[in-house]
Amino acid sequence: MLAIDVKDLRKDFRVQKNREGLSGAFKDLFKREYREVRAVKDISFRIPQGEICGYIGENGAGKSTTIKMLTGILVPTAGQLKVNGYVPFKDREKFVNGIGVVFGQRSQLWWDIGVIESFQLLRKVYRVSEPDFRKRLDNLVERLQLGDLLNRPVRKLSLGQRMRCELVASLLHNPSILFLDEPTIGLDIVVKTEIRDFLMQMNKEEGTTILLTTHDLQDIEALCSRVIMLDDGQIIYDGGLEDLKARWSKGREIQFQFAAHTPIARLSGLTEGLDVSWSVENDVTAKLFVPHSVSVSDAMARVVGGADIRDIKIFETNTDEIVRAIYQSGSAEAAAAKKEIASS
Amino acid sequence: MIRYMALFWEYIKNYAKTRLTYRADFWIEVISDLLFQGMNLIFILVVFQHTPTLGGWSEAEVVFVYGFFMIPYGVFSTFFGIWNFSERYIVKGEMDRVLTRPAHSLFQVLIENVDPPSLIGSLVGAIIMGICWAELGLPFGVIDVLVLLLLVLGAVLIYAGMYTALSAISFYSDAPTGIVPLIYNIQNYGRYPVNIYNKIIRFFLTWLLPFAFVGVIPASFFLEKKADDLSQLALLTPVMGLIVFGLGLALWNHGVKRYRGAGS
Repeated sequence: MLAIDVKDLRKDFRVQKNREGLSGAFKDLFKREYREVRAVKDISFRIPQGEICGYIGENGAGKSTTIKMLTGILVPTAGQLKVNGYVPFKDREKFVNGIGVVFGQRSQLWWDIGVIESFQLLRKVYRVSEPDFRKRLDNLVERLQLGDLLNRPVRKLSLGQRMRCELVASLLHNPSILFLDEPTIGLDIVVKTEIRDFLMQMNKEEGTTILLTTHDLQDIEALCSRVIMLDDGQIIYDGGLEDLKARWSKGREIQFQFAAHTPIARLSGLTEGLDVSWSVENDVTAKLFVPHSVSVSDAMARVVGGADIRDIKIFETNTDEIVRAIYQSGSAEAAAAKKEIASS
Repeated sequence: MIRYMALFWEYIKNYAKTRLTYRADFWIEVISDLLFQGMNLIFILVVFQHTPTLGGWSEAEVVFVYGFFMIPYGVFSTFFGIWNFSERYIVKGEMDRVLTRPAHSLFQVLIENVDPPSLIGSLVGAIIMGICWAELGLPFGVIDVLVLLLLVLGAVLIYAGMYTALSAISFYSDAPTGIVPLIYNIQNYGRYPVNIYNKIIRFFLTWLLPFAFVGVIPASFFLEKKADDLSQLALLTPVMGLIVFGLGLALWNHGVKRYRGAGS
């Protein structure tokens, strides 16, 4: 069964144009001008149950807007939308019983009262029976190691502690879909890892569908079998992370450490005729960029045969770089076009 | 409904836990509330230093109306303290959180903002009304208590509907508007006998922004009949209440669909 089914989803916002300066402000007072901004442009995707899907894109690409439509907060301008068998904005109150939501930038918990009291309040809001609640809470508390935090007021928690509590709060009613909007923002590496492990385990054991937006691609690498990339309101990539890398990475880099100073002219001479490029790191180290069209062994054989080498390292282009390249080029089509020109 | 009552009780308990730890804060709020009401009362007393009657209403009668007004006003302030709705829920985007929870959005906003100290105002209002009741030598029966409860309920609903509608405006308008303070000032006119105003204002206060229905009209039910006999309208108060609240709620429900969220 599909957990999320989105077809031609669109969201327009009417934004007031502010004219410049004081005279502009006066003009705005009497006659306002609006313009339509299309934040999400007819996107379609389907997420089956039990999948962890990463939703990435630059700031302002429309990620949050989509999540808000999927969770029933915003009403879409056009398109079809079915989450967990419901149309979110229509049966909002019934629908939200089946989903959990964590907004990394915003707290779900009550600031002044103890964590456990916030949880109790949520238990009442979601109508979870006391035994179910106990069982669930004990389990979550153990897995996220919250034991001694439960009686502290939320305002006295650190960000990492709070985020773990937010996760528990969103899971108390045992939702089958979990929406996470930047769940690891501002967290240290230990907490990030803890949260990732926890999400992974929960997905495995309970089959919870997870849709998360993030700017931290390590989240995606650790968790997601699938990535949807959004740019300017449109989906520019939808598929596996490995595919994304294979499709967008341009090649590999090989770093050589030589026994003695080796001038770049000599190195270039060695790789004469191959479509590769050198860059010098320092006196004895240089990097060789090898595009996918050139075999690594060919390139290495030439260098190894012609120079005294102490050490070799091979670097895959990492996801950060790939994604940065895509963001910078504006859209995947543009990136694809560039790539074709480059490779032809 | 039962579930909402239970939820409401939970919130009150948490309110008590957090608020009662700041005792000084609690009492300062009560005292400032009462001082504000006291100022209004003194204003009435000063006016009657200069004139024996106001549009045919004696001092005790006007104070009686004021006492009546304080009862629904206190109840309203307790349950509908959503003055900062636009600021807190729309501009800061807290509505996001509300909308991801399985209960009516207005109900959630209301219980997050309950303010029980305001109920003390109602108590004081009832006492003022009781004193005037005795002073005016009005007849008193069990039926009066029942009617009083009904009228108070109607008046609370009118207030509730007006402010629900006002808060709902924030869903339609980009920026927080100055309408709330405007209405807040207009509502004060409803506490005084409406026949002292000119016809247009009177019509306005009775039928368009029916603040006359939270003070002078229902209160006149218990007083001696006047020439223009406002008391005829008194029993319409609960009806007006249902209509106004119904409209307010409808505007809210429609507005929520236009909520646009804040920031990312």
